[in-house]
Amino acid sequence: MRKTVRRMVVLITGFLMGFSVVSGQDVEAGKVVYDKWCAECHGIDGLGDGSAATTMLPRPRDFSQARYQIRTTGSGQLPTDDDLRLAIQEGLPGTTMPGWPNLSGPETEDVIAYVKSLSRFFGQGDPPQSLDFGSDPGGGSEAIEIGAQAYLTLECEACHGSAGRGEGTSSPTLEDWRGFPIRAADLTEGWYLNGGGSVEDIHARVLTGLDGTPMPAASDAMNAGVVSPDEVWQLAHYIASLGSAEMPTLRDVVRVARVEGTLPTDGSEAEWEGVDTFYFPLAGQVIQPPRNFAPTVDGVYVQGLHDGVDIVLRVQWHDPSESPDPAWDEWQVKFMNAIDLDGDSLVVDSLEAPMVRPPDALAVQFPFEIPEGTERPYFLMGDARNPVYLWTWNDQSGIGAGRGRGLDSVEELPEDPVTGNATWEDGRWTLYFRRAVTMEGDGLSFQEGTAIPVAFLAWDGSSGEVGKRNSISSWYYMLLDKPASSTVVVAPLIAILLTGALGLVLVRRAQDRERG
Amino acid sequence: MKRLLKQPFWQGAIVVAIAYVVFKYLIGYALPIIGVSSAPVPSSVILQYMLTVFVGVLLYMSAEEGRWGTFQKPIKEAMVSRDQKNLRGVLMVVIPIMVGWLAYQNVKPSFAAPATLRSIHPAPPNEITFRGLPIQLTGLENPLHENGSLEEHLQVGKAIYVKNCVPCHGDLLDGAGHFAQVFNPIPADFTNSGTLPMLTESFVFWRIAKGGPGLPQEGTPWDSAMPAWENILDENEIWSVILFLYDQTGFSPRTWHEEGEEGGEEH
Repeated sequence: MRKTVRRMVVLITGFLMGFSVVSGQDVEAGKVVYDKWCAECHGIDGLGDGSAATTMLPRPRDFSQARYQIRTTGSGQLPTDDDLRLAIQEGLPGTTMPGWPNLSGPETEDVIAYVKSLSRFFGQGDPPQSLDFGSDPGGGSEAIEIGAQAYLTLECEACHGSAGRGEGTSSPTLEDWRGFPIRAADLTEGWYLNGGGSVEDIHARVLTGLDGTPMPAASDAMNAGVVSPDEVWQLAHYIASLGSAEMPTLRDVVRVARVEGTLPTDGSEAEWEGVDTFYFPLAGQVIQPPRNFAPTVDGVYVQGLHDGVDIVLRVQWHDPSESPDPAWDEWQVKFMNAIDLDGDSLVVDSLEAPMVRPPDALAVQFPFEIPEGTERPYFLMGDARNPVYLWTWNDQSGIGAGRGRGLDSVEELPEDPVTGNATWEDGRWTLYFRRAVTMEGDGLSFQEGTAIPVAFLAWDGSSGEVGKRNSISSWYYMLLDKPASSTVVVAPLIAILLTGALGLVLVRRAQDRERG
Repeated sequence: MKRLLKQPFWQGAIVVAIAYVVFKYLIGYALPIIGVSSAPVPSSVILQYMLTVFVGVLLYMSAEEGRWGTFQKPIKEAMVSRDQKNLRGVLMVVIPIMVGWLAYQNVKPSFAAPATLRSIHPAPPNEITFRGLPIQLTGLENPLHENGSLEEHLQVGKAIYVKNCVPCHGDLLDGAGHFAQVFNPIPADFTNSGTLPMLTESFVFWRIAKGGPGLPQEGTPWDSAMPAWENILDENEIWSVILFLYDQTGFSPRTWHEEGEEGGEEH
């Protein structure tokens, strides 16, 4: 809603400026703004090769070729000024391009003029026109069903996968027009879609395609009569229904509810239905070299239950590859060559070399003991003075536990009783951990009713993520429910009785006095 | 209605109600709409404020004999009058239930994170060791002001900033980089007039060189995602970034000639 309002404002200001500044866009003034804010990524000549570009995938736009992904114009067409203005003002979610609300209206217009002047393609012929988007025939279960059919007809599944997490079989081969590896969008996390996650946004991307990427324009299929305009809208409704346009609300305490019956014995959907899910965003480990500037795993979904004896956790995250997987060799090599590895020794940088295929991995991090005060171990897997207790898993050696004294110093705890298993299905890992609530020896004893620090780390083997090159979270908390306490019922009851009695006494006394 | 407004009891009730709306909603939610920075008032503070207002109303009402009498009248009537029998019955039920509800709110299990106090700009040490060599922070100036070309330093600083700092502190220097939401505490916003202009360049140097792990205990070093950049950048590179930070935001650093110590600002 807020986004819609903001867009309206953007469109209206754009409209007004269209009148007042059409010829007033000042290329020279635009260059000053560009050099100050844009050049370090997009390059001083707009070739998308600024000094920081190698830390970014997708790469910053090369303005000289004027191939723009996010447009309202037809496939292969230049974007309109409104398209450029929207990208500058709102940024492109899921990429390193932020919105630029710090630029004034005239500054934005000037920089649009300058960016266009970096390519010889603008200014020739008629100005680009937005496509006719038609009108949305509406959503609902019927529309979504038709959309699901269109998803198959247009072969979206080949790249985006049957679940829409970008796990399609063609996914590992994708590259943009400059040969840089590119991911098929995870359609279930609408907040990371480059052009926005609303039905209108998705419809525009499907209809016009993403120029410079393998994503085709459905308008071609529409013109060929393969799908109708309504079906393209219904496809957008279907895609929107796969996930959410907004990131789940960040809550900082994982509630581990207490169950009286049996605990889930694995990570299957049936066993975990209805259990509250907590989402935590992850970032690339960009704190200690070798840093991970373009991580694969950008969030984890966490659930927990206990019965006073055992605690079980389910951690899920999206990863289009089940590493190790030879089908992703080509991707790994391309990726490792495209991204700044910050001095990391390459896992492997050529398909000719013998392939090293790191496994996918995840760690859940706790302190060894529940902290007395506010101090806890360093969030990045602890340090020498104050280690962390880890539940670990990777796709080769399975479940284990460890003592972390820093990102590159993890000692296994072979005696630890933690058990579990992991399954990968349709671009998503589901990891299940189980351990006794309290334990003797090395390892954390959970305590009901006390907030316990918890953090998460993830690795995607197919992108060469090993060791320090991973995704990390900050510290959050986990809280195990206490057994239902009688205080919760008794205290309010006593309060009610006392207040009632006090009221009666007061009224009686007042009445007695009145009668005299 | 007019008669009600003249009755001190209802006047008092209205003052208390208005005070509650102001503390609970106006300060936290209405002020930001007109662009004044503000935050919701914690419930413990609201309780304190409300007690003050309540006592104030009682003091005012009881300051004059006549007013005190009329103030009490509706209460007395509700308690004794035959005509108010129904009202009395309702109040005798509703008030205990409300108290019971408040009691329940206090004893029901809570899933809030424990509160942590953190000093945002803790006091800097007088001296640090940078890559094994001692550097005196007190009185320290950015040596690049006197050396080489400012233009070149700024270009070096900018390139370092965009590659290394942007993921968290953002292209706009507003602390809203693409990874910012993951970290707690959130990355510093350099466009905030309470940050760079309040600090000397030597303080910024200390924070960049030593990062999160170099914070004193009150800065919760175990939580901060700020790297200790001395492991990645050399001395001149850090000074260049500092020049860039002030140049790009248009702020001037605090100088050693201004009296007082910087830092130590508690939040």
